Amino acid sequence: MIDFHTYPAQIAELIDTDPDLPQAIADVFGLYIGAQPLATYVGHLDEAGIDQAVVLPLDCTTAHHATVFNNQQIAWLMERCERVIGFASVDPSSPGAAERLVKDVGEYGLHGLALDPALQRFDLADRDVAYPVYQAASELAIPVMVRCGINWAPKGLASLGRPLLLEPVIHDFPDLRLVIPQLGWPWVDDALMLAIKHRNVYLDTSVLFSGTPTESLRQVVETRIGHETIDRSLPRQVVFGSSYPRVDPKRAAWAVSELGFRPKLTQRIFHDNAADLLGKGCN
Amino acid sequence: MRSVVHHLSVQTHHDTEVIDITERVKEIVDAEDVTDGLVLVMTLHTTTAITVNEGLEDLEDDIVEMVTRLAPEGRDYRHARFLHSDGQMAVNAPSHLKGALLGMQFMAPIEHGRIVLGARHTIYLVELDGPLERNFVVQVLGV
Repeated sequence: MIDFHTYPAQIAELIDTDPDLPQAIADVFGLYIGAQPLATYVGHLDEAGIDQAVVLPLDCTTAHHATVFNNQQIAWLMERCERVIGFASVDPSSPGAAERLVKDVGEYGLHGLALDPALQRFDLADRDVAYPVYQAASELAIPVMVRCGINWAPKGLASLGRPLLLEPVIHDFPDLRLVIPQLGWPWVDDALMLAIKHRNVYLDTSVLFSGTPTESLRQVVETRIGHETIDRSLPRQVVFGSSYPRVDPKRAAWAVSELGFRPKLTQRIFHDNAADLLGKGCN
Repeated sequence: MRSVVHHLSVQTHHDTEVIDITERVKEIVDAEDVTDGLVLVMTLHTTTAITVNEGLEDLEDDIVEMVTRLAPEGRDYRHARFLHSDGQMAVNAPSHLKGALLGMQFMAPIEHGRIVLGARHTIYLVELDGPLERNFVVQVLGV
């Protein structure tokens, strides 16, 4: 199983490497709980049956003068936990962001790019700011996690994370593989439309708005999307994501298991689709 | 009167786990200079418990099965929402309820410098929402 959506915001050993991180985690990311050892993160993966997990950093230098983990720190974590699939983050509004992405992916062996327009405060379709980063990611052939939908960080502007803002990007970068988390909630219809129309758009299952993950995911899948739509039209474009530490991975995994998909589809959601997206190096 | 509070931690590895902490408590009591008094064991979490029972694996499994039956996942709990004070989802009502059923603390006498336990008493910290690093305290109080 691969979890396509985790943050290292609770890993004590990593937080301890940078005295600015505790404040950035609280003020920018909006997490106010105590840190836990790396062993707890690994334990969460084990308990949920997760073999590997994508870990997402966040560079908000322009918007908030902070990084909630930088690419070097993600590489540090990858060295200490082989189950971590590190993504890069660059601040699109920062000069040289595309070049930095190319450099860091090469230097640190990162597997994808994480963008969070709501927190990084940029327009997803901005040709001057965002397009050079997309171009670099496309040339690197890495997937891009675009944090669309509700953003629980207090400083996140959800209006910048509407999935439909990606439509021109999808047209202009037809080979760029984009992952929209949370099934795009609350803009599920928009995210669904984009994924159904475009084979390079993926959705992750980390729907979190109220109730348990099982309740939230079931409501969205049963009343907004439909089981059969995922089975027929999106079997290779949905990946499992937990959004840890916003919620524990075990309950996020239970939520997918309890949807009652055919075993082959569940296997694709839990593993195969993410493995295809990530390419070599993933089990 | 002497009062010493020891802070201890344990790394749990599973969602639900029964962990024998008897020897850790005994060692603390034995090391303290208290001949007559009390020892208090208290968890610092609301989704773990402290309980005492006979140290048998079958009973440990029965305890887990009992609390799981009494507070199952999937019910219409109110505690299932985003918790703004934490910045994460509060979706572990069953864990809290299991903790409430089992209790947070245990107290035993100290006599002649040793903890007084029944022959079959085993002190457990019960993980109810792991895996996590958990903290508990052992207070030795007496003369």
